[in-house]
Amino acid sequence: MKPFSFEYFKPNNIDEAISLLNGYGEDAVILAGGQSLIPLMNLRLARPKYIIDINKIAELSYIKDTNGGLSIGALTRHREIEKSDIIKSKYPILSKTVSLIGNPQIRNWGTIGGSISHADPAGELPTLLLALNGKVKVVGNQGEREIDGDDLFLGYLTTSMEKTEILREVYIPEISPKMGWEFVELTKRSHDFAIVSVAVLMSIDNAGKCNDVRISLGGVGSMPVRAKGAEEFLLDKAINDDSINEAANIASEEAEPESDIHASAKYRKEMVKVFVNRGLISALDRVRG
Amino acid sequence: MNFDGNFKFNAPREKVWKFFMNPDMLAKCLPGCEKLEAKGENSYEAIVKIGISVVKGEYSGKVELKDIVTPSHYRLVGEGGGLSGFVKGEVTMDLEEESDKTIVKWKSVAQIGGLIAGVGQRMLSGVAKILTNQFFKDMEKELTKEESL
Amino acid sequence: MVKKYAINLTVNGINYEKEVEARKLLVDFIREDIGLTGTHIGCEHGQCGACTVVFNGKSLKSCLMFAVQADGAEILTVEGLAKDEKLHPIQEAFWENHGLQCGYCTPGVLMSSYVLLKENPQPSEEDIREGISGNICRCTGYVNIVKAIKEASKKIEGAGI
Repeated sequence: MKPFSFEYFKPNNIDEAISLLNGYGEDAVILAGGQSLIPLMNLRLARPKYIIDINKIAELSYIKDTNGGLSIGALTRHREIEKSDIIKSKYPILSKTVSLIGNPQIRNWGTIGGSISHADPAGELPTLLLALNGKVKVVGNQGEREIDGDDLFLGYLTTSMEKTEILREVYIPEISPKMGWEFVELTKRSHDFAIVSVAVLMSIDNAGKCNDVRISLGGVGSMPVRAKGAEEFLLDKAINDDSINEAANIASEEAEPESDIHASAKYRKEMVKVFVNRGLISALDRVRG
Repeated sequence: MNFDGNFKFNAPREKVWKFFMNPDMLAKCLPGCEKLEAKGENSYEAIVKIGISVVKGEYSGKVELKDIVTPSHYRLVGEGGGLSGFVKGEVTMDLEEESDKTIVKWKSVAQIGGLIAGVGQRMLSGVAKILTNQFFKDMEKELTKEESL
Repeated sequence: MVKKYAINLTVNGINYEKEVEARKLLVDFIREDIGLTGTHIGCEHGQCGACTVVFNGKSLKSCLMFAVQADGAEILTVEGLAKDEKLHPIQEAFWENHGLQCGYCTPGVLMSSYVLLKENPQPSEEDIREGISGNICRCTGYVNIVKAIKEASKKIEGAGI
């Protein structure tokens, strides 16, 4: 189908964009990569009256390795993140995760800001953001503010951003090179939406006990979640097959997925167990490696 | 799609029943309800605007109340649609007393078709749950308001 | 009167100045306003890849962009592959290796292959399959497509393109 009519704007800078958003309110939508928005518009599921194309705002596209963390401009394409040497060496979990998004065409145009503000519960980047303890910087009429990943996702396609705010930057705190990591997902076909996805980061102290672990689950509800029970269980414990299995069990029990045409809730819960298991084993390998 | 659940109201059954039979109250609490009109005995027409983020749509529908057993049981049969899809189904509602509280139990079976069912399939039951929860919470708010008057 | 927006862009080396409605998809612009119907519409919502073109050097599903966004762009479509009546090595390779049956997905596949081979002139089979993962083919089962791309990479290397 073809989209409904709309008026099109291409602001030169972020102030112009915010001004337009405020002016047109509810009926205006930001267009970045368009890889999620335009399909919805072509199917007429979304019918915004005003489109604010921010692709001209070059200063929203950057990858900065700063002291203590990584700052990525909202307009940075998945492909740029995939190819970034800095990210490959210091944030390899992000490299891998982004390479699992969609296909080459989608990665060429899709942006990190778009993906995160679209908040698809099966989206790889929202799931990863939680595991990385990341946050976003958003800007609106009232100025700029930060939102922690934990407070950002509220439900299906819904974030705690105001309708008149624009996501400007994604910030990821430094990851110690000693941390093990993994991102795995279950899809029917390669590059499909994740039925279940798992992001794991883990580090072990000199005594062989886990001193930091994050397990984030995607595809198991209306938004990505941290498997907090599993994380608590693993802290201060020796990481081995037994503790990994138990943690995977806990994560599976905690998860409350829905059933849909792709997978039943029961199957999803079982897959949480399988993939948390795989994620933890792989992360452990990397710690030791 | 099958969808069952229950909700406990802090009010006696007679009161809860009256609320559920009151179209003005339903119109107030039904998420996105723009219009709810009685079209005959136990028959209503409604227009609802539902949206999650950029996905917004307007749906119109007809609903009939059947098998009414005051104050404990009735069945809603309805169908509706919009540009993005259609819905046809029924809900059985049972109101049970628990001392001075009421437990409303519902069982629903629905056929959902069209675009929203195809493309939106993986979010449908989750969204239905969220909207239903919102409806019941709003009904409770209204009940509590009335109690305190 | 519906509002129109002026755009100026280059398609297969030729410059065009046109006026479009905001909602006109780039794929429809290419097919209707420019008259190049080699780019196909399969699903119109970004799943099948039949509409893939090369946009400023990057592969793009042209049903996922509005024409009005393409102001100032350089676009290459399947019609731009052959030069002076001679097939591009990728087209030759597809022909010789039976890399198409009904041909509906083929323009999109060719453009994805074109970009893949530019970025990765010696792709492994895995690279190739990843490179065309945004294009769906209902006929071939992909085996001959992969073979064709492998052969194309050899042809291109041989020709020193």
